[in-house]
Amino acid sequence: MHLADSALPIGALAHSFGLESLASAEILTNRNLESFLRAYIEEAGLLETVFCREAFRLVALARNPTAPAAPVAPVAVPSDAGPLAALLDRWVDLNIQLSARKPAREARTASATIGRTFLMAVANLGEYRILRDALAASKESGAGAHHSLAFGLASAILGLDESLAALSFLHQNVAGLVSACQRLLPLGQTEATRILWNLKPAMIACVESSASSSIDAAFSLLPTLDWGAMEHPALTTRLFIS
Amino acid sequence: MTPVAPIPPPVKETADCVVATPPADRAHPAAAALPPRAQVRARLHLEFTHDPASGRTRLHSSRQDPPLKAVRSFAAADGAALLHLHNVSGGLLGGDELSLNVNLAPSSIVQLTTTGATRIYRPRTAAAPTQQNNEISVGENALLEYVPDPIIPYAGARFSQRTAIHLSPGAGLFWWEILAPGREAHGEVFQYESLELRTDVTAHTSPICSERVRLDPRHRDLSSPARMGNYRYWAAFYVCRVGVEPAAWRSLEDRIRDAAIALPLVGPARWGVSTLPSDGLVIRGLVQHGRDAYAGLLAFWRVAKRALYGKEPVLPRKVN
Repeated sequence: MHLADSALPIGALAHSFGLESLASAEILTNRNLESFLRAYIEEAGLLETVFCREAFRLVALARNPTAPAAPVAPVAVPSDAGPLAALLDRWVDLNIQLSARKPAREARTASATIGRTFLMAVANLGEYRILRDALAASKESGAGAHHSLAFGLASAILGLDESLAALSFLHQNVAGLVSACQRLLPLGQTEATRILWNLKPAMIACVESSASSSIDAAFSLLPTLDWGAMEHPALTTRLFIS
Repeated sequence: MTPVAPIPPPVKETADCVVATPPADRAHPAAAALPPRAQVRARLHLEFTHDPASGRTRLHSSRQDPPLKAVRSFAAADGAALLHLHNVSGGLLGGDELSLNVNLAPSSIVQLTTTGATRIYRPRTAAAPTQQNNEISVGENALLEYVPDPIIPYAGARFSQRTAIHLSPGAGLFWWEILAPGREAHGEVFQYESLELRTDVTAHTSPICSERVRLDPRHRDLSSPARMGNYRYWAAFYVCRVGVEPAAWRSLEDRIRDAAIALPLVGPARWGVSTLPSDGLVIRGLVQHGRDAYAGLLAFWRVAKRALYGKEPVLPRKVN
């Protein structure tokens, strides 16, 4: 719960991922916010939770390449160099793949920045060599460390349940967007809480769907949000970095 | 390279007779009573080479399985080879599996276009989705311009397209796609069943763009403000040249954004542009009228080609 708190100081509050452009253009309003976020969960939510799960499963694969079961014991770091190197190669590859799935530069950079900060925060909580190695591999390769992937990897290292990790990530992600909307729209605390509450079934359905979805089948169609993220650099007055 | 399946016996029915099936075919008893249709598996394989002496690109070899056809290549003014892609059956039918393989040798310049819109016809009830697989390889310092007409999915259509584009060092790419909502003149707007577009662009060995787009109007509300909103046409334009510095892409991003603002439009449109992780940028458009999609893409092509190659684009000469 601590790591999934939307108030965790990882810089997420500085990003709107394109919502600021949409609010500025009056495309996003209080009236359509809930349906907007529902579509977001169905599309980007699925994409991010599929990648979150892939990163989570890296640890199990490194422990036992032939039995990709979800880990139940905490901090099971592979001890020899072979599996660890394979894990780090796959970690870098996943980050490159996810970057390629994010067409808008600012949103892509925001995801990588938040993910790196998140990974650093968790790595400093204990002796988690694999997280430090993952950070180093991301930096060395230039692949970045996207938030969903960092969350999945850290959750596996901490011995959390895979689906719980995916759901926690998604909730944190959507709560962050609602929080951004409270600063962009005339959206009060009561209404924001109600919207987030109403979206929980959609989040659960998304996470359940992500359990059996491959990366290749994780489709995402959010052209209006992508437009907002692409146009954000052109806004004359900006409250958010992205 | 995947082996080519044997060509099935000639298909007796024509595209028109499939189009003429009644609406709501999935539940319509007439559709269920139609005999099964032979599946078409066809491949169009094109190899282009560059002749240093003449400075021209030539279609070196081709393999063509009906209904896919490429008659001949034309020499364009800039030394490029212009080639029109035909589908002599008039469109794609349910269960069809079509492949396009294009290889550009180093330094070759190729422009591919279509002779008309790609029509995705209504399939029979039991038919598999229509599949189109595009495998494209652009050699060192070669340039591919793929500027087709729109994809028009008819009511009930199910279509899955997979495109893999491999760019060698120095290779360039201008590749656009326009997706229409359906046969608007027939009142068919978002009445297709599903469309899946998978597009992967790899620069040297690294993926720089992976699109996974599914439009499923019966189950996902396309008019959602996060999706299409009130717009009908979706366009994507990938502009790449491997090795160009990131600062140049940021500069081009700004110039294309300025060009989008200056576009004279018939109806509302939203154009967005962003640099890719490296070696390119992507332009996305949501427009109300198809002509605005084409006009926008032409304008961006002009700006990008000047910036990356110092040349004007040569608009494809159409045979119709």
